[in-house]
Amino acid sequence: MLQVQPENLRGAANIFSAAGKNPLAAMFGADETLRGGGLAIYCLFYNAEKRDMDILKAEFSADGDLSYPSLTPILPAAAWYERELHDMFGFIPREHPDLRPLVLHETFPEDFHPLLKKYPVDYQVRGSRKYEMLTSAGEGLYEVPVGPIHAGIIEPGHFRFSQAGEAMLQLDAKLFYTHRGIEKAVEGKTPFEALPLVERICGACSVANTLSFCQAVEKLSEADVPRKAWLIRTLAAEMERLYNHVGDTGNVCAGVGFSPVISMGSRLKEYLMQLNEMLAGNRFLRGLIVPGGVNCDVDENCLEEIDEVLRELEKEYRDIVHIMWEQNNFVNRIRTTGIIRQNTAFELAMVGVGARASGSVRDSRKDIGFGIYDELDFAVVTETAGDVEARIKVRVGEVYESIKLIKQLISKLRKEPEGSLCVDLGMLRTLEGSWGISESARGDNLHWLMLDEEGRIDRLFVRSASYPNWPALTLAVQGDIIPDFPLINKSFELCYACLDR
Amino acid sequence: MMTGYHSLGYSLLQALLLLLVAPLIAGIIKKLKALLQNRIGSSILQEYFDLYKWWRKPTFVTPYTSCIFLAAPCVYFASTVAAACMLPNFIGRTVSLGDVFVFVYVMALGRFLMTLSSLDAATAFGGMGGSREIYVAAFVEPVIMLAILSNVLHTGSTFLGGMSLDPGEVNLTVAGVLTCIAFFLVLLAENSRIPVDNPDTHLELTMIHECMTLEYSGRLLALIHWASQLKLLIFLLLFSLLYLPLNIPVVFKVLGSAVLVAVVETLNNKMRLFKVRVYLAAAGIMLLLAIAAQ
Repeated sequence: MLQVQPENLRGAANIFSAAGKNPLAAMFGADETLRGGGLAIYCLFYNAEKRDMDILKAEFSADGDLSYPSLTPILPAAAWYERELHDMFGFIPREHPDLRPLVLHETFPEDFHPLLKKYPVDYQVRGSRKYEMLTSAGEGLYEVPVGPIHAGIIEPGHFRFSQAGEAMLQLDAKLFYTHRGIEKAVEGKTPFEALPLVERICGACSVANTLSFCQAVEKLSEADVPRKAWLIRTLAAEMERLYNHVGDTGNVCAGVGFSPVISMGSRLKEYLMQLNEMLAGNRFLRGLIVPGGVNCDVDENCLEEIDEVLRELEKEYRDIVHIMWEQNNFVNRIRTTGIIRQNTAFELAMVGVGARASGSVRDSRKDIGFGIYDELDFAVVTETAGDVEARIKVRVGEVYESIKLIKQLISKLRKEPEGSLCVDLGMLRTLEGSWGISESARGDNLHWLMLDEEGRIDRLFVRSASYPNWPALTLAVQGDIIPDFPLINKSFELCYACLDR
Repeated sequence: MMTGYHSLGYSLLQALLLLLVAPLIAGIIKKLKALLQNRIGSSILQEYFDLYKWWRKPTFVTPYTSCIFLAAPCVYFASTVAAACMLPNFIGRTVSLGDVFVFVYVMALGRFLMTLSSLDAATAFGGMGGSREIYVAAFVEPVIMLAILSNVLHTGSTFLGGMSLDPGEVNLTVAGVLTCIAFFLVLLAENSRIPVDNPDTHLELTMIHECMTLEYSGRLLALIHWASQLKLLIFLLLFSLLYLPLNIPVVFKVLGSAVLVAVVETLNNKMRLFKVRVYLAAAGIMLLLAIAAQ
């Protein structure tokens, strides 16, 4: 970890990013005043060569000036992080091109920064501040506001389209409507007490969030997680990717009203969710992974069932994919729609399917190789076109890779001797930052954890995969027409709850 | 030949009958689509339940609208019922009230007012829906006229009664078949079905017809939906009476074409908005060929 003066943060970040070779993984603040420190900004950069994160820290005195030169002009990926820092801690990134509020909407008072320690977790506020949407004006231009309440059963988000006829000129998204303050709520809890909250940050990536969190906790301990536990964890992680990708393959067709595939996709997803329930006792695989290992074993019956269902599922899934590619009208809709160019994906430090469809090869399972992924044989599926079709293709490819992985895991689990599933982590090291990463269906989920002197959580930062990809969505739509927006949106399949942590 | 009054009576009776049956046909198509998609689907009577539900619910009208907003659903409903009166009497068969040009423009009157009302509430979705409806209509109307012209050439009459195929006639000429296919394509476009529009979607940004009705509630919404169902039935009937070259009773022809709609809707997805003109141009070219062949 390198500690720099706030004034030097931009320069140091420039060096750490190695001219963009090491993308910004996360940027967040911490209030360390209770331990006699000040406020701090941490920047994490992926370092693929070291298979590690480079950590950069800038410390500010608590009652002094909180301004520093913004990173956004050199690293566009920092834009949202810095807006959030501004909201949550009151940092002032100078020369930030767009320092509108992000998390705190117009019902919050102007100078309220909830993640500062001086505000207790049950602090109540009411106020008003300005929240402006990006708009446009001119002859023939108009705006279409959509949401935050939508016709389907989805989470809240307000989209403001600036239109010239059917063509979308600009899109601004107002998200974070149901921000739950989980990062604040877990402060003062032990990691085990915080676990149920962390598992519920998001439904579709419960395993990924729990796995990242558990790894962050385990890095603070001397104990090693048993190999068998890692096999079961990896099995759960791949089952989660599988049910998400299978469901999303069908769901993307809802954007074009291609209904047979939608219902086929949800039928297959349901089989997988029932397998999940058998595996962990929970359809979202909650309660399985704990710091130190896993909660329950997988017996031979369960492995047999998974094996059988997957064999059938793979066949049916191939049928669905066949139907999709045979439908010229469908391919016509998805090709060249919602393009993200490679350098855009790169500059926004996109992750997951969104990035890999635009020519990136980033996959934390390969790059960081957490757990036992290094022992397993799988390929990172990439496409270069960056359109809706490419994202569907990456998803389809990853389904086959996940099935391949699960088969390997099953045979490894069968060979694995009986052994302990969970290790006692003992005393955790305190006042030391640690991070955990895992690959969810949407990309990597990154957690940062620091414990105070008593072993209770001082700061937990959660950056789910959707966070860096949301700004990309607003760029992907430019130049397309507004009836194609639902399709483009569904091809990213971004999560609102992952932001509302 | 029946007297005018008799004819009027029959026509009104027929319109009433169609009005009562229309939700059932829409329900059958929905149910079929559900079955074809591996779903159980709602009851075929669901459309009646929905109409009843909307009828009992209060109607909210924003204070920012003009009288057009209230008038449009009524005119749309009335014009569709009027069009139903003009269909060839399948009770008496030979007589019908209307000239085919009157028929087309009575239908257009309803659409015109619906489009106006979509602008009335000044919401972004309404304007979008109105503009798309007109964009589709601009291509649909000439194609319908061509379809009629093709039929007029075949039968030598511009009265719908005179235009319909004789019960025993199986018009399997090149012109007849081309016209039949082209009219079916127009039927899908005119009734907001896939691949032009999606009647079942909840995605406002992709809607065409539904987008215009978003501001409506209660009885006004019930009127719009009922009229749309009737319109679908009218087109299925026209397709059956005028174009479908099959020697079976009209009821089976209508049911058969309803099945066809469900199958086509299941097998297809919605096309790009700006491709709709290519789709309708294809129907237009088929009709030109059909006319040339005569």
